[in-house]
Amino acid sequence: MSKEIKGYRQQPGKLPFAKPGSGGREPFSKLRDLDMIPESEGGKRPQPKGKNRHDHLLTGSSVGRRTPLVDSNWKVTGQAKYGDDIRIPNELIGRILRSPHHYAKIRSIDTSEAEAIPGVLAIETGQQHTDLFGVLPVTKDEHAMAVDKVRHVGDLVACVAAEDEATALEALRKIKVDYEILKPIHNMKKSLDDVDEPIHDRGKYHIGQSNVQKRVFQEFGNFDGMKKAHASSKEKWKFAGVNHGFTEPHAVVANWEPSGRLTLYTPQQVPHYVHRSLADVLKIPMHQINVHRTFVGGGFGGKSDPFPHEMCAAILARKTGRPVRITFDRDEVFYTNRGRHPSHIEMNIHVDDNARICGIETDALIDGGAFASFGHVTTYYNGVLHTAPYEIGSFHYTGARVWTNKPASGAMRGHGAVNSRCAVELGIDDICTQLEVDPISFRLANLLPPHSSTITGFRITSIGMRECLERVREACDWEQKFRKLPLGHGIGIGCGFFISGSGLPIHWDPNKFPHATVHLKIDMDGGVTIHTGAADIGQGSDTVVAQSVSEVLGLPIEMIRVKSRDSDTSPVDLGSYSSRVTFMNANAAISAAIEIREELLKATAEICNVDKETLVIGDRRIYQKKDPAVGISYLEALHKAQEDRGALVSSGSYRTPPMGGVHKGAAAGLAPAYSFSAYAAEVKVDPETGITKVIKVWAAHDCGRALNPLSVEGQIIGSCHMGLGQVLTEEMKYGRNGSLLNPNLLDYKIPTVHEMPEVVPIIVESNDPEGPFGAKEAGEGPLLPILPAVCNAVYDAIGIRTNELPITPDKLYKQIERKMKVLDIKSPLDLPNPTLNHSELQKALDERANEHKIRDSERKLNTEREPYYNGTLFGKISTIPPEEQDENWTLSVTPSEEYLANPRLAGSAWKHQEVRHMNKGDDA
Amino acid sequence: MSGMSNTPHVPMIPTGEKTSWNAMINSRNFDNINIDSNAILLDVLRDSAGMLGVKRGCDLGTCGCCAVLIDGVPKLSCLTLAAETKGKEITTVEGLADGAHLHPIQKTFSECGGSQCGFCTPGFLVVISALLHENNNPNDKEIKDAIEGNLCRCTGYQQIIESVHAAADILNSNEGVEDNTIAKVDPHPGIDRVQE
Repeated sequence: MSKEIKGYRQQPGKLPFAKPGSGGREPFSKLRDLDMIPESEGGKRPQPKGKNRHDHLLTGSSVGRRTPLVDSNWKVTGQAKYGDDIRIPNELIGRILRSPHHYAKIRSIDTSEAEAIPGVLAIETGQQHTDLFGVLPVTKDEHAMAVDKVRHVGDLVACVAAEDEATALEALRKIKVDYEILKPIHNMKKSLDDVDEPIHDRGKYHIGQSNVQKRVFQEFGNFDGMKKAHASSKEKWKFAGVNHGFTEPHAVVANWEPSGRLTLYTPQQVPHYVHRSLADVLKIPMHQINVHRTFVGGGFGGKSDPFPHEMCAAILARKTGRPVRITFDRDEVFYTNRGRHPSHIEMNIHVDDNARICGIETDALIDGGAFASFGHVTTYYNGVLHTAPYEIGSFHYTGARVWTNKPASGAMRGHGAVNSRCAVELGIDDICTQLEVDPISFRLANLLPPHSSTITGFRITSIGMRECLERVREACDWEQKFRKLPLGHGIGIGCGFFISGSGLPIHWDPNKFPHATVHLKIDMDGGVTIHTGAADIGQGSDTVVAQSVSEVLGLPIEMIRVKSRDSDTSPVDLGSYSSRVTFMNANAAISAAIEIREELLKATAEICNVDKETLVIGDRRIYQKKDPAVGISYLEALHKAQEDRGALVSSGSYRTPPMGGVHKGAAAGLAPAYSFSAYAAEVKVDPETGITKVIKVWAAHDCGRALNPLSVEGQIIGSCHMGLGQVLTEEMKYGRNGSLLNPNLLDYKIPTVHEMPEVVPIIVESNDPEGPFGAKEAGEGPLLPILPAVCNAVYDAIGIRTNELPITPDKLYKQIERKMKVLDIKSPLDLPNPTLNHSELQKALDERANEHKIRDSERKLNTEREPYYNGTLFGKISTIPPEEQDENWTLSVTPSEEYLANPRLAGSAWKHQEVRHMNKGDDA
Repeated sequence: MSGMSNTPHVPMIPTGEKTSWNAMINSRNFDNINIDSNAILLDVLRDSAGMLGVKRGCDLGTCGCCAVLIDGVPKLSCLTLAAETKGKEITTVEGLADGAHLHPIQKTFSECGGSQCGFCTPGFLVVISALLHENNNPNDKEIKDAIEGNLCRCTGYQQIIESVHAAADILNSNEGVEDNTIAKVDPHPGIDRVQE
C-alpha cells in the first residue's frame, strides 16, 4: 500500500478536468507574491506601524498595486456616457428661464405666447411645485423653480420642453415675467444686519430679521494661558469664492417609463439625496423612482446637492409623457455654483514661552449666497477642522454663514477646512518667524500622538503627520533652502488635516442604518458582480471596491465587475462627499467578501478533507498553506459551495462606531479616521511685477494605506492643481453692483499645463486600525496644505505675508509698494530677504520633537495604551479628560454677555435673538 | 444665458436654411446629412452623426473637450462651422482605436492615470494622437505645448504627460497594443510547481 496522503493532492503541471465556465488565459495559478503579504502572516511586507485587522485577508492580488481604473477603457474610447450622452428616442429638449435680477418678487408670469409656438410641449413654473427640498433636512430651502421671489441672478423661474433647442430658447424669450425689484445684498457684512425683507424666512428659527443662516459659537479650554501669551499672530483674511470648474456641465435626462416609474439619469455625487428630493417634489413614493448615475465628468462637491433642474426635468417629462433632456451652458454652471464660500476670517494664534500653541481664536464669516446647501456643516467645519493635528491649550470659534443675493456656495473639495487651514498655517509661520525657530521643528514639537483626542473631542486614531513632515523636509532639502534662498526665490511649508468620512449620516432615520452597503453575487461562471451605490465620480471608487473584493477572494481584478449606477439594483449609499467612499465602501466590500470567502474555504475543506484553518487563498486557488498541491481551483470550490443553492450572494455594510462629545455641534467634524498631509512648495516671485510662479511641490499625504497608489498619486497631484488655482488665479469676481463678471472658463482662470509645477507625491502609510486594510482618505485632504505652503513660500521669497487670496500680481505688487514706502526703498530688488538665526527655543523644540517621536512610535505599536487627551502637553494628566481636572476649563456653545458686549465680526451674528426665543419673557 | 439677455429680439426660429452636408467621419462616409447652414460642427457630430465621444464643455473654445482632427489637424469643433468641414476627413476619439486594438495613447492613458473623470479625455486623446503622429518621441515641452488648449481639472496634467511618454515608448517599440477581446484569465487554474 502506498503512503497515505492527507487531502486531495493535485499533480503539479496537470490541470484538473475543465469545469463548465473555465478556460482562458493563464491556466496555472501564480505564486503568492510574498512582498505583498505582511510579515505577521508569513510574508515579506514590513510592518513598521504594526499589524492590521485585515492582514489575514491579504492574498497579494491587487491591494497596494498600481491599478488602472476599472472603467477607464470606456473613457478612453469615448463610450463613457455622461449626462448629456443619454439619448432616449423621442426625447424633448428642456431649457430653463433664469432670473435677470439679483432679488425680486415675481408678480406674475405669462406663458401664453410661448405656449403658442409650434413645437413647445410644456411650460412649467414654480407655482405648481411648491414643495421644498435641500441636501440637509434641517435647511430645506430650495424649490424646483422660484415660487414667490428670485434670490440671485440665474435663479430658476420657469422651464420649457420643446422639440428642439431653438424652439425651447425661443419659448424662453416669449415668457413674460413681471418682477417687483427688491434691494439686493451682496456684501456679506451687511447680511449680519436686520433688514425689511430677509432672503429667506425660517419662521420661528429665523435669527432676528437678519440674513444670518447659521451661527456657531464654541469655546473649549482654559483661556488663562492664552491671556499670558508669549507671542501672538493676528490676521484678518479675505478669501474669494471659487468654483469647482469640473469639465462636464450639469445635464439630466428624465424618463417616465411605461411602468409609470421615473428613471432620472444624472451625473451626481449623491444619487440617494436626489432620490429623496424627487420623491418630496413629485409627491410619489421613493420606490417609484430609479436614479441612474451616469458617468460623472468631475464633481469636487459641485454635484453633491439635489438640484432644481433635476426636478424640472422630471416635472416636464411627467407633463409631456416624453423623455426630457436638460443640459447646461457653462454660465449656468457658474450660476448654479455651490463652490467654496467667499470668507472673511480673523485668525489669532497664541503661543506660550515653551512654544506651545496655547490658544487659537477663529472668527469666520462666510458668504453662503442665496441658499443653504451644505452651509450648516460648512459653518462648523471652518472652525472645528483646525483643532488638529496640533495640541492646543484653548480654542475659541465664532462662525456665521449669511445669505446674500449671489449663486449659492456649498461644498467643495476640502469642504469648509481649506480657508481657515490656510490662515492657521500662515499664523504658525508668522509665530515661528517671531520666535526665530524653524517652522517644521515647531510643528513636530506640537503634534497630537496616535490614539488621542482633540480639544473638541474628536478621536484621532492613526496619525502620519510626523512622517509627512519629516519626509517632506528631507525630500525638498529644507535645511539648505529655508530662509537661505535669494530674494524672489522661496520655499514654504503647510500642513493639512481632514475627515475620512463624516461620522454622522446627513439623512438617516432611524439612525441605525449603515452608511454604506455592498452586495456580492457570484454564479457558476466565477465572475464576481459587485452591487454598490457608491458614486464613482472619477476618483476610482468602483476600482477600490473591486480591488478590495479581488484581494480577499484572490481573484484578478478582470474577474470583478461593478454595478453601481441604478438605485433599483444598488444598495443605498450616501454618496461621494466628505471623503467617505474608500473608508466606508471598501470596509463594506471587505465584510461582504469575507462571507463568500468563508463559503469557499468551507467547500475546499470538504473536498480536500482537511481542516479549514490550514487553508489559504492564492491566485484563483485555495490550498493548504504548508502544501500547495493539496488544494483546488477557485471554480471548483465555488461550484461545490453552490450545490443546492445556486449563486452565492452576500451583503456587507459599514457604520461608524459611537464617537464624540455631547455638546451642541459635537457631531460636526467627527470622523472614524482623519488624514494628514504636509507640503513644501518652492516658488519664484518677481519683486518687480508681483508675478508668482510655483516651481516644485513636495507633497506628503498620510492616506493610511494606499490601496491604489496610482489613484492616490493622481489625487495628490490633482489636489495641488486645484489648490494652486485658488491660491494664485481663481476667483469668482463680482462687480460693483453684485453681478458675476466671469461666468466662463475664459475669465475664470483655471491653471493650464504651463502653470502646473512638478509635483513629487509622497505617500505616507500610517495603517489606520479601522480603515479597510489600513486605508484612509486621499481625495480632499491633499488640497489643504498647498495654499499655505505657497503663501509661506511667497513670504520666504520676498518677505511679504499675504492676507488675501488669490495672490494675483496686482495685489502682491501693491503690498510690495507699500512695504517699499514703509522701508523707504527705491527699488523692489532692494527688499530685505527674510533670514533665520535660530533662537534658544529651537534646541528645546528639537528635543521635544525627538521625545514625542519616541512617544508616538511606542503608542502606535502598544495595543494596551492608555487614553491621551488634548491638554497633556500643557501639564494635565493624560488619562483624564481636561474638563474633569481643570476647574477653569470652559466648554461653551453660546456666547456670554461679556463676549456680546464686544463681539468679533462673525460673532456679532449672536447679537440677534432667534425668533422662537423672542417672546420668552411673556411666557414667564 | 437663456432668457437673461436684454439684447434686441432676434428670433431663434425659423433657424438657418437647411443644407446637405457630407464628411468622412472616422473612416465612415456620412452622406446627405441635413443640417442648418449655421450649424456648429460639435452639434452635428454629437446630434447627427452620433459621435457622443466628442464632449461639450464650454462652447467658447476654452476647455478643449470638443477637439477633433480635421484632415489630421486638431481643431475645436465648438468653434468650427460644420459647413467649413464639408467633404473633409474628421477623426474623433471613437476613431482612434484600430478595431479591438486601442491606440497606444488610449492604453497608456488608462494605465498611467491620465484619465480620472474622463470628460476631458477625448479632447486630450485626439490632440495627443496628432502630436504622436508627427513626433513619436516628444519631450515635456513639446507635450505641454500640444495640450495647452486642453483643461483637465482632475489630474493636474502630470500623469497625462507620463501617459504620452509611455505611449511614445509603445510606438517606438513597434509592438503595438494587444487585442482587447482576447480570452481573460481562467478561473479554474492548476499548479505548475510546488510553491512556498
